[in-house]
Amino acid sequence: MATPYYIPETNVPLPPTDADVITTACDYCIVACGYKIYRWPVAGGKTGGLKASENAFNADFPVDPLGPWVAPNQHNIVLHNGEPHHVVILPDKDTHAVNPDGDSSVRGGIIAQKCYNPQTPTRDRLKTPLVRIYGILQPVTWDFALDIAAAVAKHVIKKHGANAYGVKTYSYQYVENTYAITKYALRYINTANFTFHDTPSDVTSTPGFRDAGFDNFGPSYEDWMNAEVLMVCGTDPYETKTILYTQWIKKGIDNGQKTIWLNCRNTAGIAYGVKHGGLWLDVQPGTDVVLLGAICRIIVENGWEDKEWIKNWVNDKWGSSSGFGQGTRNTPWQWRTTWGNFQTKGFEDWKKWLLGQKEFELKNAAEITQVDPKKIATAAEWIAKPGKDGKRPKSSFMIEKGFYWSNNTGNTNAISMTAIICGAGGRPGQVVGRAGGHQRGGTRGGKYPRNKSPMKVPGRRRRALDTDTWLLAGHTRMAHAIGTTWIQAMCASERMSAAFEDLTVRNPHQIRSYDKDEIIETLKNRADSGGMVLINQDIYLVDPVGARYADIIFPAATWGEDDFIRANGERRLRLYQKFYDPPGVAKPDWWIIAQLATRMGFDGFDWKNTNDVAEESSRFSRGNRKAYHMVKVAAHKEGKTLHQKMAELGTDGIQGPTMMKRDGTLVGTKRLHDTKKELSPTGAFGLNMQNKKMTHFNSQTGRCNLQKAKWSLFSDYWEWMKPKGDELWSTSGRTNERWQSGFDDRRRPYIQQRWPENFLEIHPDDAKARGIESGDRVMIYSDRVPSLKNIIKGVEGSDYSFTGQMKNGNIELTKAAVTAIAIVTRHIKKGVTFMDFLVPSQPGNSVSGRIPDWISGNYNYKMGVAKVKKIGESQYKKTFRSMSFAPRDIV
Amino acid sequence: MNAHSDIKGRRSAKGGKKQSCVMSRRSFLLTSGIATATVMVTMNAGTASAAKMPAAVATYPRKKIARLSQLKNDQPVEFSYPDEGAYSTNMLVKLGTQAGGGIGADRDVVAFNYTCTHQGGDMEGTYKGDTKSLGQCPLHLTTYDLTRHGIIIGGQAYQSLPQILLELDGDDIYAVGIFGLIYGRQDNLKA
Repeated sequence: MATPYYIPETNVPLPPTDADVITTACDYCIVACGYKIYRWPVAGGKTGGLKASENAFNADFPVDPLGPWVAPNQHNIVLHNGEPHHVVILPDKDTHAVNPDGDSSVRGGIIAQKCYNPQTPTRDRLKTPLVRIYGILQPVTWDFALDIAAAVAKHVIKKHGANAYGVKTYSYQYVENTYAITKYALRYINTANFTFHDTPSDVTSTPGFRDAGFDNFGPSYEDWMNAEVLMVCGTDPYETKTILYTQWIKKGIDNGQKTIWLNCRNTAGIAYGVKHGGLWLDVQPGTDVVLLGAICRIIVENGWEDKEWIKNWVNDKWGSSSGFGQGTRNTPWQWRTTWGNFQTKGFEDWKKWLLGQKEFELKNAAEITQVDPKKIATAAEWIAKPGKDGKRPKSSFMIEKGFYWSNNTGNTNAISMTAIICGAGGRPGQVVGRAGGHQRGGTRGGKYPRNKSPMKVPGRRRRALDTDTWLLAGHTRMAHAIGTTWIQAMCASERMSAAFEDLTVRNPHQIRSYDKDEIIETLKNRADSGGMVLINQDIYLVDPVGARYADIIFPAATWGEDDFIRANGERRLRLYQKFYDPPGVAKPDWWIIAQLATRMGFDGFDWKNTNDVAEESSRFSRGNRKAYHMVKVAAHKEGKTLHQKMAELGTDGIQGPTMMKRDGTLVGTKRLHDTKKELSPTGAFGLNMQNKKMTHFNSQTGRCNLQKAKWSLFSDYWEWMKPKGDELWSTSGRTNERWQSGFDDRRRPYIQQRWPENFLEIHPDDAKARGIESGDRVMIYSDRVPSLKNIIKGVEGSDYSFTGQMKNGNIELTKAAVTAIAIVTRHIKKGVTFMDFLVPSQPGNSVSGRIPDWISGNYNYKMGVAKVKKIGESQYKKTFRSMSFAPRDIV
Repeated sequence: MNAHSDIKGRRSAKGGKKQSCVMSRRSFLLTSGIATATVMVTMNAGTASAAKMPAAVATYPRKKIARLSQLKNDQPVEFSYPDEGAYSTNMLVKLGTQAGGGIGADRDVVAFNYTCTHQGGDMEGTYKGDTKSLGQCPLHLTTYDLTRHGIIIGGQAYQSLPQILLELDGDDIYAVGIFGLIYGRQDNLKA
């Protein structure tokens, strides 16, 4: 049995031939590999044998490479219907989609360790609701906790308005749950004080894609493999989307695909690409706009742009002006509130602007980006230069967080313009999109009430409410955090932590009673006094939002503990089946929300089971990229439920948007914006929807908007931010071994052994100058962390820039410090350091500027600077059990 | 040729699953030197039905694999252990730097199984002296740190590389056990 100190085992039980076999997909990263659960009772002591006839895999042991081997970490013991059962969870060796070789990452591969088992470090799963009574979170019943929450919520909304009730929630943890949460928060409470886990306001994460007309997840996984040239910005998909890399991109590379990597680190997947002829552009943090601008400049100077594509698929003056065809109030607001800053009259107008930008001249760009100009020129040639026969290279463009959380608006505009002139976006192997982070499990049960947001920008445009700033200002009287650390996952600023503490546990109105009515009265008084009541709904007690500040904790059931639907990064929908009992009385989020909503007097929450929620939600998915409504229609035609039909589709699932043929068979959609696809000339039949995004781009005309990506909109912040004196860039991300799985990794002994603490990657030259060696404990600190004060202040457009806010006295400089273990390594660019941002005990984001991107409203988390000093040696320096200080670029 | 088809085509290659070496359990036990001892174990301990039962327990063989004086820094030596069955190929190396589980005066001599614990890739020939590492595995690029008990540096394996326990007797190096399950097997001593 696993212990917090990982001790490898030397044998493992095999499932017997009569073990139950249940399909699911991995809970973690965007790729969502198909898995099979083998389950059999512990009672009786039965296990499978080494001969094919004696085990559930029908395989002789020892098995072949790529075979159904069971690593000890892939086994666990769970309760099923109250009885102990063995489970062995392996990547599905029979699947045809996503992970067709039955491959798995280190995260999904050991997903069996996720299951609640009191013998393992999962023993601290939340098992009952808790209420903080006399300062201690004490177990109570569902009725007790829900009655309190509902009574206080009703009071807060009535007395202080809907915007006083803040909901901060994950966007992805299955359609049943997100539908219930958004139906409750947006349709019923109708609060503008609402956002998802990764941004302070409910806004698009990729404004440049949206304005260009690109869906984030249009491509199919085979497109990434089939590209002849692949430019990947701000991520190493080997480390973060492993199977997308090992099953698709790596096969492309092995077939001669040329890869170009914009990244300040040279990690394993990049190193492999470079070894096979690829190009690493070691861009200085935040300067991608300049790099891509320089590449575009070389392309147009040489006339390498895809003229045919531009003629057919890029908006001219009139097309651009028609915007998104949704009326002036409802357009993506960044398009309409920045007249002239982004919009062009088409290619020639854009080209004129591009050639006028001094920083895009190769020499200047090389200086700003710190990238070898020869490499910049080579990249331009690879992605756009036609061959001697005039044939263009098939180029694709992939982005992720290192890129779009550095200069959110600028970078996403820059990659869009680069992709468009190369003819990418709508053909096989010529695509543009996000690689993805978490899976796509959002279905909106309500519309964001933008007109209730008090936050405005010039031109009378309202922007979605910045929930962090709103909370800092004391307007949030009751906060409901669902499945996010909130503080660390945002900018982890000292100001945010202090505000949570002041508003909750430091408020004089604390629960000191056994009586439910008195408790309710106390919490009402808290809210009325200017304090904040905090509900935290999660699978584990999270520090500090739950452990230190929350008044009420709701324990959630999760993956494997109920049936759920979700899509992956190529819009592939699967059913994640229940196979064991949730711990204690933990309940799925949809049930918790339904109970709370019903107690608050809302109707329409009387679901009997998870399928009821899924079936109600399906019509709200119509028209979106993972529309699953037609699966329900097909299911009902066959007398089945939506979940039953999804279970039938197994690990292959179906790619959204889904369509149904007249004979009732279902058809998926390989890629969006598929300009080669032919739709039925007679239109859609029945409830099918044939919408624009299937064959065209997301603009009024269906053509792309070719936009300007202006460095000047960001350069003032970048110039202010860039390292001064002995500061270094402090940027962040995650590593392969813990990515989209941090909440479980802390409870997996092997991963804990590999990464027991946060780390700081630092270049050997920078380390030497500071007397730092691998294994030293270091302090990363800054007295120059910019933080937006209570609200945005300004009248004119220019007020909203970093310079404008600074001038208006609305930015304060705060301090931050975080400790880590130094890894002195050649794989990081000189002058740059890198940490994991989601280690709750050492929050790397605390040195990031808490300054929302003034165009989009997102944080640019990856932009931070700090000083680094050694504070001593760690225990890992001279012992050999934990961590590794070897570089990640070994090939 | 991609790595996938490569591995599939060489099932009988060194370090891969060796069909030619499959032998009956009886002859395997006789030739590989595994000691089989009959010991008394208590079944249902603590209950009324507790009883002493005989059970066959296979233990790791003690096998001489090399001489310390003949090892050169960063030059791996190959050996089979705990048997001649599938995935029994290992490497012994003098790292030139102290390592977890290392033997010798400098505690720098270690041994590991050559088969990637992710999906069975053969990592023979991937030792890197500058980083004291094994990998990238040709299948899915996992790398292992040989100074730290074979922990993954990066990559997709679910556990460290199985480390061979070593003993030094004068100048002779013996393999005496394994820490961690070898890929492909259900039990290290069943092949």
